[in-house]
Amino acid sequence: MSAFIVPKTRKYPVYSRVMGPDSAPGQTVPWRKVLWEPQPYPDNYVDHHFLEELRRNEGIRQYRYWAVVKEAGFVGQQMSSVAIFLTLWLYMEQGLLAPGTLLWSSLVCALLGYGLHQVLTPQTELCSHPRTHLADLQSAAIFLSFTFGFSPVLKTLTESVSTDTVYAMSAVMLLAHLVAFPYAQPSPPGSLSLNAALFASVCLASRLPGSLHTFAMLSCALLVFALWPCLLQRLRENAPGHFPGACVGVCIGGVGGLGSQSVGGALLLFLALASVTFLCPLLLVRLQRHKDNIHGPWDEAEIHEDLSRLLG
Amino acid sequence: MVLKIFFPQCCNLADSGLLVGRWIPGQDSAVVLAVIHYPFIPAQVKQYIQQSGEELAVLGSWSLPKEGQEGMESFLRDLSTIFPQERWLQISRKMGKMDGEEEEEKEKVVFVHYDQKKVMLSRLHPVHMEDTQTAVVFQTVARSQPLFLLDRYDDGPLRSTHWQTEGREGSILVELLKRASVPLCLLLNWLMSVWTRFCRLRAVSGGSCKVLLSSKLSTCIQLSHRSEHMRSISSPGAASSHIEFTRKANTVVSVLVDVALGILLMSWLYRDEHVAALASALVPAADRVATELEQLLQWLMGAPAGLKMNRALDQVLGRFFLYHIHLWISYIHLLSPSVEQILWYGGLSAGLGLTFALSLLSDMVALLTFHIYCFYVYGARLYCMKVYGLSSLWRLFRGKKWNVLRQRVDSCSYDLDQLFIGMLLFTILLFLLPTTALYYLVFTLLRLVVVLFQGVLHLSVDFINSFPLFALGQRICQPYRLAEGVKFRVLCEEPGSALHLLMEINPLSCSAVVQTYRTPASSCYPRDSWAALVRKLFVGELVYPWRRKSSKAD
Repeated sequence: MSAFIVPKTRKYPVYSRVMGPDSAPGQTVPWRKVLWEPQPYPDNYVDHHFLEELRRNEGIRQYRYWAVVKEAGFVGQQMSSVAIFLTLWLYMEQGLLAPGTLLWSSLVCALLGYGLHQVLTPQTELCSHPRTHLADLQSAAIFLSFTFGFSPVLKTLTESVSTDTVYAMSAVMLLAHLVAFPYAQPSPPGSLSLNAALFASVCLASRLPGSLHTFAMLSCALLVFALWPCLLQRLRENAPGHFPGACVGVCIGGVGGLGSQSVGGALLLFLALASVTFLCPLLLVRLQRHKDNIHGPWDEAEIHEDLSRLLG
Repeated sequence: MVLKIFFPQCCNLADSGLLVGRWIPGQDSAVVLAVIHYPFIPAQVKQYIQQSGEELAVLGSWSLPKEGQEGMESFLRDLSTIFPQERWLQISRKMGKMDGEEEEEKEKVVFVHYDQKKVMLSRLHPVHMEDTQTAVVFQTVARSQPLFLLDRYDDGPLRSTHWQTEGREGSILVELLKRASVPLCLLLNWLMSVWTRFCRLRAVSGGSCKVLLSSKLSTCIQLSHRSEHMRSISSPGAASSHIEFTRKANTVVSVLVDVALGILLMSWLYRDEHVAALASALVPAADRVATELEQLLQWLMGAPAGLKMNRALDQVLGRFFLYHIHLWISYIHLLSPSVEQILWYGGLSAGLGLTFALSLLSDMVALLTFHIYCFYVYGARLYCMKVYGLSSLWRLFRGKKWNVLRQRVDSCSYDLDQLFIGMLLFTILLFLLPTTALYYLVFTLLRLVVVLFQGVLHLSVDFINSFPLFALGQRICQPYRLAEGVKFRVLCEEPGSALHLLMEINPLSCSAVVQTYRTPASSCYPRDSWAALVRKLFVGELVYPWRRKSSKAD
């Protein structure tokens, strides 16, 4: 059983004629958009100025297809680097890759990357943020010593955990890495993405047969997840012509590497890359026309403060 | 308006005379305390009344007509001129009925009969309610004790009737105790001062280590407690109030019962070579405990309950604890020749009271299970550090950190090396957590068992210390002494005559007696609520579940 509240009949008619002592009959009081004065109109009355201040789709961006494809290439690139990492791990697990080889090649790649990074840094940035080679060497020494010292411990960490659990955890963590990656600004690495990737690499590395394998795997993970995005960012900033080339190279390497292990995986990766790089931008551009945002004076005020005058 | 007259039962059959008592101010009632018979001299009556110091007065006249005393009525009525009062009661009794009337107005009168001796000796609870009518009645009767010292065998100038008219009551035992208590108190006082001086000397020479030990050993706590009791008993002044007297009596009785039980224990212990039997059973018992612990550790080092532990850490922890057990057993074996001597001398302490024997037992249990306590502390510290590290590194995982200044979690941009090393440590701690947690759980359970046993001993010691035996005995043997209130029974209700009620004392219930007269002992009660205890156990904080109320170190 429900009760209905019947409203009382309206106190005022929609168009009223006020018969005051001074005004002539037939004159209507103009409606003003205020609520603090009693007016002869109901509270929800609107006049012909209604929705004049409505604006549609303000600040909408016009996307161009190929520019979006170029940016989406970065996402595809990240997926491929994860695939490269997994390939290396698969090779190590099957014993096809010796840890020594991986270590030396990682070292060579790191040195090459470091050189490239230094070359690409513009002069102005070098002077304003001097980070000496000594500091970099110190960081590298800390990484290597810690990893080498902890690798026996890390090797026995997941001994008692079942293989399925380890694979599941790694998969979840790598997915989290891809989702949380700061695609717009990868240079200061995002905490969650880097940590998730490192956690997954530790889980996977502890499954390998020896502690040297673990050490090699972790160094490789550091290279792929922590240092490569910094280089890419530098490349994107200072040599924008070569950036798409690098992305395409990584994607091909990912698909090819995975293909040498399992064709199904390569196929999946290829499909994923194609959809992310070509299909999703198409959808984005095509669906823009259905966008319908309205703005008006009812929006929350945004304070645009210019703080640069405070920073001097 | 109804006039209430509280009339003592002993005066129901008294000869005619003057009524002496008190008008209760503000209420229409009067308490009759005694009847003074003819012949009397008014000045001496006044002197007699002033004895007790209360606002007593002559209330009126009482007449029990006998043969040969026909003129008594009019004589008694004329007495009102000698003792001028605002109101004058005239109560007369014909055998079978009692009537009272006031001089000027014939009001409705209610007679409340009370047993004078019981009301005088009784004490109303709760003690601080002084202004109810009942309390005033009790107080008046209690304070009029000097009035009741005049019995019929006295050669004084007045003859009166009250509950002690037939002769003063007293018990030989009580009188002897009262006489003997004064020199006993002096002796106790002197002994206590000697003991205090001795203790202070020892404390000064021993230093802080002794202070720490003495605050942890329950025997020392019990000793200090008992000496406090003795000091309170042996204080030279008499008890100022009923409550203080009851408390002192409770302490004395509990000490005596304690000593009696202790001597009983001693007589059992030193007979039939029980001491030797206990001593010879003690070392094997300690050995068995150690073997059981070793077996437990071996089980943990394997695959306990099917859980998969990290083998390396398992081995490390297991071997560490096994080595500790080995050390402990060597100590016990070192001590084993002198165990019997220790037990023999320890049994002597039962002479001081059962509580001392129990405290000594609790201390010995604590010493014998010291290794369990050590294991618990190690396990708890390890676990606590792990949980703390894990929570901090979990925040690093999400890119946040704890702001100590604002006491909240803030976001933080970490360096690459911080992230890397933090991540490694997080993974290690996370995967090693089950192993540490299991060790912690096992040793915490063991520790809780020991603590529970010690807690039972402490609770029984506290029970003996603080249970008010004397008050309970009083409640059972003389229930009128501890009154909670009064109840009225109708004696005679006839239209046309006054209403007669009998006031009976409602004794205090046993639970209320225990609650009011409990000696405030150093009661040990749980320090934390269940929720706080569980939370502390979960986080790994060290748990000391029993708290002592009077200890300053806490």
